Amino acid sequence: MPIKLFRVAVIVLAGAAAGLAGNAVHPAGLELGRNAFLRQGDEMIPVSEAKARHERGALFLDARGHMFWEMARIPGSVNLPEEDFDRSFAALEPQLRARFDLVIYCSGYGCETSHKVAERLRDKGIHAAIVEEGFPAWQDAGYPVEQGPVRP
Amino acid sequence: MRTAREFLRREPVHRVLSLVLGVVFVFASHDKILDPVAFARIVYYYRLLGPNAEIPPFVANAWAVTLPWIELVAGGLLMLGVARDVWRREAALVCGALLVIFVGAVSYALAQGIDLQNCGCFSVDGAGRGAGLALIAGDLVLLAVAGVLVFLPPAQGSGGDQSPS
Repeated sequence: MPIKLFRVAVIVLAGAAAGLAGNAVHPAGLELGRNAFLRQGDEMIPVSEAKARHERGALFLDARGHMFWEMARIPGSVNLPEEDFDRSFAALEPQLRARFDLVIYCSGYGCETSHKVAERLRDKGIHAAIVEEGFPAWQDAGYPVEQGPVRP
Repeated sequence: MRTAREFLRREPVHRVLSLVLGVVFVFASHDKILDPVAFARIVYYYRLLGPNAEIPPFVANAWAVTLPWIELVAGGLLMLGVARDVWRREAALVCGALLVIFVGAVSYALAQGIDLQNCGCFSVDGAGRGAGLALIAGDLVLLAVAGVLVFLPPAQGSGGDQSPS
């Protein structure tokens, strides 16, 4: 007896319909048009706005791992990786608390780290904007990049 | 070889395989259904469906909310398959197609050097397993099970689900 494609279609469509309905009634459902990385209170800025703030002297926080930051970064940025947040934050805290123009970036689409770090900073009462497409967008735009070990 | 084929074509074998594959898929759907936001984030990590400059969040989000329920429906039918054949081959075909997609997605992530902390297979929290070669191997075993259910159905006379002798 051959496979009945009609049944295959019913399974897939019934599942999909149930999924959309289930999500709609789910108390913590997903808003379908919205990026699920976004947390309450996240301020997203396009890379052009990030560049403008950079020129005005904003402090940039690189949320990627230390190795990536050391390889290439936005000039003048400091490293605040999520996996090492507590230690890095302790070292940077006085500096961060003195600023109100913080900008966070990580490795762009598919990178949640900026959002996580922004959330942890928010918990400590510090606001930081997030660069929408992260470091790749900064590079693609041809903006300056600093490479190699950090000058003291 | 012929005897292995004959063994795999036995109805009791199909009942067991159907139950195994069904339980895996129903179990896999559970966490993702409970926390669609967490699962959507995992889908983003694969960087296959966006969101990015070209692909709006809707695409990955729609996949994230529908996939687990398709797993649940197909897995549920397969679990029923332990007692009697309820669209068993068709449900196995859906699971097999999903497994092909999973293997492709994990391979893509590995090839791109994306470090998936959690593959989003069974769990959506920190306890999830990472995506690596072991995961692909596991998926291929399940794919083989689905393959038997789809391509080596028990020999049937007039269409019932009686065991062949």
